[in-house]
Amino acid sequence: MNHLDQLEAEAIYIFREVAGQFRRPVLLFSGGKDSTVLIHLAMKAFYPGKPPFPVMHIDTGHNFEEALTFRDKLVAQTGLELIVRKVADTIKAKNLTDATGKFPSRNALQSYTLLDAIDEFSFDACFGGGRRDEEKARAKERIFSIRAADGSWKPYNQRPELWNIYNGRIGSDDRAQAIAHTQNVRVFPISNWSELDVWRYIQREGIALPALYFAHTRRCIRYEGRLIAVSDYLNIDEQDELVTKKVRYRTVGDMTCTAAVESEAITIAEVIDEISASAISERGETRIDDRCSDAAMEDRKLKGYF
Amino acid sequence: MDILRLITAGNVDDGKSTLIGRLLYDTKNIKDDVLESVAKPGSGATAINLAHITDGLRAEREQGITIDVAYKYFTTPNRKYIITDAPGHFQYTKNLVTGASGVDAIIILIDAVNGITPQTRRHSQVAAFLAIKNVVVAINKMDAQSYSEAVFTAIKNDYLTIADQLGLKNITFIPISALMGDNILEESPNMRWYAGTPLMAWLEQCMPNECNFSETRFSVQCTIPQLHEGNGLGYAGKLLSGALTVGQTLSIYPTGATATVAKILHGYNAVAAANAGDNVVVYLNNEGNIGRGALLCAGEKLNISNHLDVTICWLNDQQKLQPGKYYLLRINTTEQKCRIGNISGKLNLDTLTYEPNEEPVSVNDFIRATLILDAPIAFDPFENLPENGRGILIDVETNYTSAAFTISLRSVAPL
Ligand SMILES: Nc1nc2c(ncn2[C@@H]2O[C@H](COP(=O)(O)OP(=O)(O)O)[C@@H](O)[C@H]2O)c(=O)[nH]1
Repeated sequence: MNHLDQLEAEAIYIFREVAGQFRRPVLLFSGGKDSTVLIHLAMKAFYPGKPPFPVMHIDTGHNFEEALTFRDKLVAQTGLELIVRKVADTIKAKNLTDATGKFPSRNALQSYTLLDAIDEFSFDACFGGGRRDEEKARAKERIFSIRAADGSWKPYNQRPELWNIYNGRIGSDDRAQAIAHTQNVRVFPISNWSELDVWRYIQREGIALPALYFAHTRRCIRYEGRLIAVSDYLNIDEQDELVTKKVRYRTVGDMTCTAAVESEAITIAEVIDEISASAISERGETRIDDRCSDAAMEDRKLKGYF
Repeated sequence: MDILRLITAGNVDDGKSTLIGRLLYDTKNIKDDVLESVAKPGSGATAINLAHITDGLRAEREQGITIDVAYKYFTTPNRKYIITDAPGHFQYTKNLVTGASGVDAIIILIDAVNGITPQTRRHSQVAAFLAIKNVVVAINKMDAQSYSEAVFTAIKNDYLTIADQLGLKNITFIPISALMGDNILEESPNMRWYAGTPLMAWLEQCMPNECNFSETRFSVQCTIPQLHEGNGLGYAGKLLSGALTVGQTLSIYPTGATATVAKILHGYNAVAAANAGDNVVVYLNNEGNIGRGALLCAGEKLNISNHLDVTICWLNDQQKLQPGKYYLLRINTTEQKCRIGNISGKLNLDTLTYEPNEEPVSVNDFIRATLILDAPIAFDPFENLPENGRGILIDVETNYTSAAFTISLRSVAPL
């Protein structure tokens, strides 16, 4: 088997383990490339049946229009059930302070909405598209990552995870008692994939992506060398340098904290060439919030982030 | 391009993190922004905290040690490497076992200044327990020993005694300096006396784990509704070994029934046959009542028993092994309640032999014991088919993965 076959086999195995071990899984879907690949893998894993779980979008409200359109189209095509829970609603209900500042990213606030939704639906397992090569804290996470009832990750007391035997037991044998307010498990089927693996797989399988991932013309501001799309959510001031550029996105997240990269790549093959040649990592180039502190991702994970 | 899974093991400060950083750096697998975050004053590779490339968690960074398992990736034109950085401290041996399970190759690091330590013995024992096929002993910090052949040879000879005791075979020894880059990518000009290959060349030629076992073993993970023909369910799972073909007759465990293969789906395609390692969906004629945990088999050699002779590595640092207590055993998807019966010996790290020992079994201990299951299960000895001969024990109160075990050939020896 070549490496893409092996990575696919590992991911499919993980999807089926979750189907075999949990009663109420959910797939976290953002409209980005990693979660789109997850949906593709899930469809394959359960063919000719359908994945035995819904997909859920934790909506920051700061969306790229194209990502939403793409999300709805993919859900319609696959016939999967889509659940949307909005960060804005959580802010209202819980009386939280909305993000402020120049880049009012709601990334950190997503955790509250996610935990509420897990409670609301009694989800016991959440698939995420996290990859260990993205970031140093992720590099330490197990494939089955047990989260406490409050969503927190305990990096120093992770269960040993041996071979491909994934221990997803949570709660107790007394099933009635085990349902709500207990631990849940985050599952990362593409843990071992790199950004390039994802793209090569997209190419091989002919997976459709939002147009954002390919070069297009966009109004941006230039901020500390990064290009941030002009949008209703961004607080632009006089000092900002407004530019119109040919850009594409390497990751798609909260509009206010995801930077675009200058690019001419309009095909998957061109994107692959561009990434291979890039001297900067995916997160380093595109995520603004991780740069704030070396330990930023770790902080958010401890509190229940994906 | 294929995948090679690899682990580095060594004592704290032997240079594991530096070595991994070095491999990533020399193979140009580190992006500029990541380099920037681990830079220190100066220039070139020596100006980078190579070790910081893998140390992800803040507490570790602050304490300056590696606590949990971190995974790193790099590619060469040939292969994708999945590299596990596992902790060196004694109390983290359980993490080493986690990291080393399922790897194709292990690099055992020895500091040329300190020579073999108790941890070297322990890490080698882990390699023996997991039966890792490709073992390289990298003797590091040769720069701090004037690149001396005599130092290298002395450590090599010491190590061969240990390897002999543990039954580790075909070991390669390479003198390196992770810090300076000697014998990593290129042959070192400082050690002309060394005739072997640099570390990277050794890695490139390693064969990933392959199993010659040819009997059919298919482990069922979950059921898939049949949407088209008939009403039968599909069984999704992994073909652990052998081949699976349409029309083949299979025995089903634990029900004991037999059935023939009606249809095989690999992804979206119906196929006539599947090979070892494939994840497929199988449809059977006359299947009866089966589900997750079932094992579909063909061949003569399958064993069925409720007594398993095993080697156990205890992984639970909160609770010692409690004889008589029920644990949940898992082999692939099969689960069964079991107790730990007679413990015949505990590993003595000094002699590397299993000796009678009355002390409670605690974290990082290796023991030989019998597992007594509530009902018989179908298995293969680890030596024949690793994937159907190893498992975990789960503490049903905490759900913690408390032990790993491998099934010994003695389980199938005539009584
Ligand atoms: N002289 C010398 N020092 C080394 C070498 N490799 C690592 N070191 C040093 O040994 C110390 C421990 O290295 P580190 O990689 O953190 O060890 P770990 O605990 O095994 O991960 C650091 O100060 C390194 O700079 C080497 O090849 N030669």
